[in-house]
Amino acid sequence: MPDLLKRIGAPLLFGFLALVAVVTMVSDRRSLADGGRDLPWWQALMLEIAVPIQDVAGAPVDGVRGLWTDYVAVLEVREENARLRERVVELEEANLQYREALVASGHLQQIASMRDDFETPMLPSEVVGLDVMPWFRSVLVDRGGAHGVQAGNPVITAEGVVGLVTATSRHAAKTMLLLDRQSAIDGIVQRSRARGIVRGRGTDQLSFEFVVRGGDVKVGDIVITSGLGGVYPKGLRIGEVVEISDPGGDLLQTATLRPAVDFGRLEQVFVMLRRGPTMDLLYDSEAAGPLESARARARGRPSS
Amino acid sequence: MKRLLTLPAVGLAALVAQGALATLLSPPWCPDLALLVLIGIGLRWSGIAGGLLLAAFLGYATDLVSGSLLGQHALLRMAAHGLARLGNRHLSLRGLLPQAIFVSALTCANAFAMALITSFFSPGSAVAGIALRELLPQAVANALFFPLVASLTARTVARLGDEDGGQRILPLSPRGRIA
Repeated sequence: MPDLLKRIGAPLLFGFLALVAVVTMVSDRRSLADGGRDLPWWQALMLEIAVPIQDVAGAPVDGVRGLWTDYVAVLEVREENARLRERVVELEEANLQYREALVASGHLQQIASMRDDFETPMLPSEVVGLDVMPWFRSVLVDRGGAHGVQAGNPVITAEGVVGLVTATSRHAAKTMLLLDRQSAIDGIVQRSRARGIVRGRGTDQLSFEFVVRGGDVKVGDIVITSGLGGVYPKGLRIGEVVEISDPGGDLLQTATLRPAVDFGRLEQVFVMLRRGPTMDLLYDSEAAGPLESARARARGRPSS
Repeated sequence: MKRLLTLPAVGLAALVAQGALATLLSPPWCPDLALLVLIGIGLRWSGIAGGLLLAAFLGYATDLVSGSLLGQHALLRMAAHGLARLGNRHLSLRGLLPQAIFVSALTCANAFAMALITSFFSPGSAVAGIALRELLPQAVANALFFPLVASLTARTVARLGDEDGGQRILPLSPRGRIA
């Protein structure tokens, strides 16, 4: 009997652990399909521990990179400064003209009220860890549930869309980048309004799949979020078309996009403390409380 | 007790180092150090249950800091560890070249299994398209880093084995013969 146990012990243990892994995968997939998850306490604890460790482990690398970047920046700064001064003068002039035109047509007030409607509280966060596996593209940020971050919140930078929060602990959040192979968002070409799906390739570029018939897409076009997926707000920059594949006889054509965000230098991001209507529907009423209080916190006033 | 703490600590240290390397190297060229530790332990350590538990633990830890589904790496790490043990029994893995080939093959199998599982759970994703241009650098990086990681894990296991009263250490020889 002990011999038998010894012989089948390892396969039994493997079978049990494999079963547990499959069960967690299924439940994880289910919660991801519901827009993301707040991690259970033991996983959240591991993530809380992982974030400062990754931060510290990455510090020497960041330090060396920062030194080099600063050195190069100092060399280029004089030339860039002169260029920027010229540009500022040009833009100030253009800005003045636009303002005059808007005031003249009475639209300024309308635009101000629209901005209030769409205003979304943004939470600045630091990227503290990159995905350790090459097959996936995600990052860890140093803000979590305690700061009002929830699974389903869009993450952006000044340049454009970064990705989506998929899991949170109290002080950290995991964000799936646009580049991830599992990422897909609805986009439109800014110029022609041609619609399509932007998918991650797992590399530094994105795919834009659009219908050939009537799809006016050219190299150099800017693709922005359409807002139709109900996850990202409309008008965020996704990337620029750099190549269009030969459609052949296919109805669907694919263009290659260069992301607006430089994912290789991702350091600071902004978490939009607002989920799209789809995410809010998925979370139903349970999300209303924390979401409202997070909005209020970010605006600097207590929730009512 | 010491082994219970030391081996997971070595695995976690590998994972942290992997995270630091990820900021420096392009993703396909970043070695999967945690996988290498598990292969190294699979080739050296005779504790089957301990190895499997360690593989599951490191797999879950990897899942937490990666975009994979929770449990995905846990399952694959256990499989990789098991295959390393089987490989050690049935193959001649003495020398750098056989070990490099073995590690590269395991890396490829691991990537294909990863793509298969992800495609199963996320049918619309482009994971199935893991290209050769990504797989080859990863296999090469793992093969290059394996001697270093294997030597570190071998030393750790040997030290623990001595201190824990002579736990049998599997030699790196064909069909389990004592070298």
